[in-house]
Amino acid sequence: MPTIQDLKAMAQAAIDDRADWLLEISKTVLANPEPGFHEYKTASYVGSKLDELGIAHQDGIALTGIKGYLRGGQPGPTVAVIGELDSLRVLGHPHADAETGAAHACGHHCQIGMMLGVAVGLMAAGVQEELAGSVALMALPAEEFIDVGFRYGLHKEGKLGFMSGKQEFIRLGIFDDVDMAMMVHTSSSAEDGKFALGGTSNGHVTKLVNFIGTAAHAGASPHMGVNALQAATVALNALNTQRETLQNENIVRMHGIMTHGGVAVNSVPADVRYEGRVRGRTSEAIADGSMKMDRCMRAGALIMGGKVSIVTLPGYMPMINNPTMTGIFRENAEHLVPANEIITHPDDLNRGGSTDMGDLSQIIPVIHPYTGAAVGAGHSTDYIVEDYVQAVINPAKAMAMAVIDLLAGGSAKAMEVLDGYSPVMTKDQYVNFQNSRLVEELYDGEK
Amino acid sequence: MTDMPDSQELKSLAMAAIDAKSADLIGIAEHILNNPEPGFREEKTARFVESKFEEMKISYQSGIAITGIKAVLDTGRPGPTVAVMGELDSLKVLGHPHADPETSAAHACGHHCQIAMMLGTAIGLQASGVMDQLSGRIVLIAVPAEEYIEVEYRDDLRRAGKIEFLGGKPEFIRLGALDDVDMAMMTHTSANANEGKIAFGGTNNGIVAKRIQFLGKASHAGGAPHAGVNALNAAMIALSGIHAQRETYRDQDTVRIHPIITQGGVAVSSVPADVRMETYVRGKSVEAFLAASVKVDRALRAGAMAVGGSVNITTLPGYLPIHSDETMLGLYEQNAAQLVGQENLVRLTHRTGSTDMGDVSQIMPVIHPYVVAAEGNGHGDDYIVTNYELGVITGAKGMAMTVIDLLSDDARLANKVKEEYDAPMTKDQYLSLMRSMFHEGSYIE
Repeated sequence: MPTIQDLKAMAQAAIDDRADWLLEISKTVLANPEPGFHEYKTASYVGSKLDELGIAHQDGIALTGIKGYLRGGQPGPTVAVIGELDSLRVLGHPHADAETGAAHACGHHCQIGMMLGVAVGLMAAGVQEELAGSVALMALPAEEFIDVGFRYGLHKEGKLGFMSGKQEFIRLGIFDDVDMAMMVHTSSSAEDGKFALGGTSNGHVTKLVNFIGTAAHAGASPHMGVNALQAATVALNALNTQRETLQNENIVRMHGIMTHGGVAVNSVPADVRYEGRVRGRTSEAIADGSMKMDRCMRAGALIMGGKVSIVTLPGYMPMINNPTMTGIFRENAEHLVPANEIITHPDDLNRGGSTDMGDLSQIIPVIHPYTGAAVGAGHSTDYIVEDYVQAVINPAKAMAMAVIDLLAGGSAKAMEVLDGYSPVMTKDQYVNFQNSRLVEELYDGEK
Repeated sequence: MTDMPDSQELKSLAMAAIDAKSADLIGIAEHILNNPEPGFREEKTARFVESKFEEMKISYQSGIAITGIKAVLDTGRPGPTVAVMGELDSLKVLGHPHADPETSAAHACGHHCQIAMMLGTAIGLQASGVMDQLSGRIVLIAVPAEEYIEVEYRDDLRRAGKIEFLGGKPEFIRLGALDDVDMAMMTHTSANANEGKIAFGGTNNGIVAKRIQFLGKASHAGGAPHAGVNALNAAMIALSGIHAQRETYRDQDTVRIHPIITQGGVAVSSVPADVRMETYVRGKSVEAFLAASVKVDRALRAGAMAVGGSVNITTLPGYLPIHSDETMLGLYEQNAAQLVGQENLVRLTHRTGSTDMGDVSQIMPVIHPYVVAAEGNGHGDDYIVTNYELGVITGAKGMAMTVIDLLSDDARLANKVKEEYDAPMTKDQYLSLMRSMFHEGSYIE
């Protein structure tokens, strides 16, 4: 009977054997970027790769999501290995789709390669049957919480409950049979070394703000109009004055984009739209920032005598990395890169950004390590994955080995993870909490 | 009766008398220039004017609307009463060469010349033989507080019951000090090179004023800004809002909104919790400035709303737009042409400043011409009267001559002015309108 070390060696060898295949997959996804809930081509491509591996899969979950299983030789817990399907939108990124601006400026294309790499490793002859439990291979849509208006439209049409992939997977019960989950994200931060573990991320809420004014000829009769763009600019100035009231330790971020600023320069803008985001370390900090953003938006409308509709959408929750799983991942990573290039961040090190892996971390044990394989600033035009071995092959190996640690030997390690874990909330509590954060308001200052 | 002088002879007598006292009159103007006092604080200036009335043996009543003075020259014959006014108050302009270093009070609007003009008019009319040919009365008024400034100070006077309105002439009207006056005139200095030597007619903006207090919550600005509510930020947002609204004002309404912050915090290390502003909201018509006032209130409320604070807004009636009486203007124009030449006269259109002579114009015929005797920017630190001959002597002559036109020949023309005048409102209607503009609100949203 092979030892765990034997199993890991077999898995690594299998991944190395198909390294070119895995890198080609990542680069194909890179070259065909699709933002969240638009990843139809990407999903179909991933489905075809699972087919090549002979893995049955369910498609179209939360529109574009995919789930397949590798079953171990014995029953036991289910570990999910996740890759994110979606791209960002970054105008001018060298790999951007010229038409849509979609671009993999956050490295998700590598995650698909990693996830398939884990499958390749665990399917190596003699490995899979030694596992006690299952591996759920998941390609998830829409981790980047963007195109908010589009997604809210899908919500209104009943096509989505929540507006990100993992949130919706949770709501749909796709994680109901999953006991723990892992994924690896690329990083371009020097502070992350080759692998970075631990730390946390911000939660957030997202807002769809619509300033409603009255159109009028901007030259002939501006006095007849109510300028929704002025309302928005005053509101954003007001928002900036709130910043001094945000406590550093709460790592609050308030930012947004103007998605609609008027339709014709000679007409007083009557319909101006803003997507806003409030991030923070805790739900309380997010709620405080959200209240402040709302009152600024109302103030802008009041000044101009217009109205503002504010839809607050449930966003992400702070990330909790499971310490036992983190330890397992680190041990395996040490076989791949020098130990001094693996950084374990303190639990309270907050990266400032947000991920819906945080949502999942509220209800099951998860890890969300980073692999230092990119250069440039995340979400910018210069974010480029340079070291594809570190971006795809090494993380695939580390995750495959971590799964072997968890599920081989009668899944003793996985049981240890589960025994030491207490969820922040149940799935039902999570769904109720997120539903409670969806608030629609129409403010008319003059009424 | 054959040697009864005609009105031109009376005017010559008046002009000669004014010329004879020219140095004294200019000295009066310069004395006031050097002792500037803002409105409702013109105690020294009032004493000085009273001393001049005493020298001229003209009886007067003082302390009207705190510092105002009203003197009467009575012909003893029946006829209308013509008021000749001069304004006692200075502005406040930091750095004006004639500013009081302690208070910043400065005659940057030329009111010091008005007092001398008013006294000069009296000197002209007191010339031997002139009063004998006039009927009715001339009321000489030194009126306080034309510049609508120090709103907080004056509003406190109002709250203390010492005044009801924050300008001198509205107070004179309210107190009945103009009840016995049928028509009024005064002459203002101007520095506008496009206004020739004498300019007249035209209209002015009206005003409401606002006293504003943003209330927040003090907190250590470094240690715990999150525990504070920044009232200065509320004010900044409100100001941004006021500017964002500007495109909604029609050109023909000539809306002007120009706030100042009178208290912006007390210590830089403490989150400002009490920030105060004053503003005018001006417009060409009552409707225009009241509509703008509603918008300004929205911006003020929004500032408080955005930071989670509150705002107290006191809206105070200000001044009404001016309408000059055409008959009086016609008389004045002829006299002015005689003094400076027709080619140096300019008929005004609309000026976007404001004066409480506008209030007087709502209830009686008035004129409010300008003598272009100054240089620099009105209300600026470079507004200097450079031509005192024009600024005091010519100004006095123009008014004395016009009074002679009005009250000579049994006050025929004054009676005509009075009869033909169609008042926009009665005194009671005026007071009701003014009182309707008062509004106090406290907003937490």
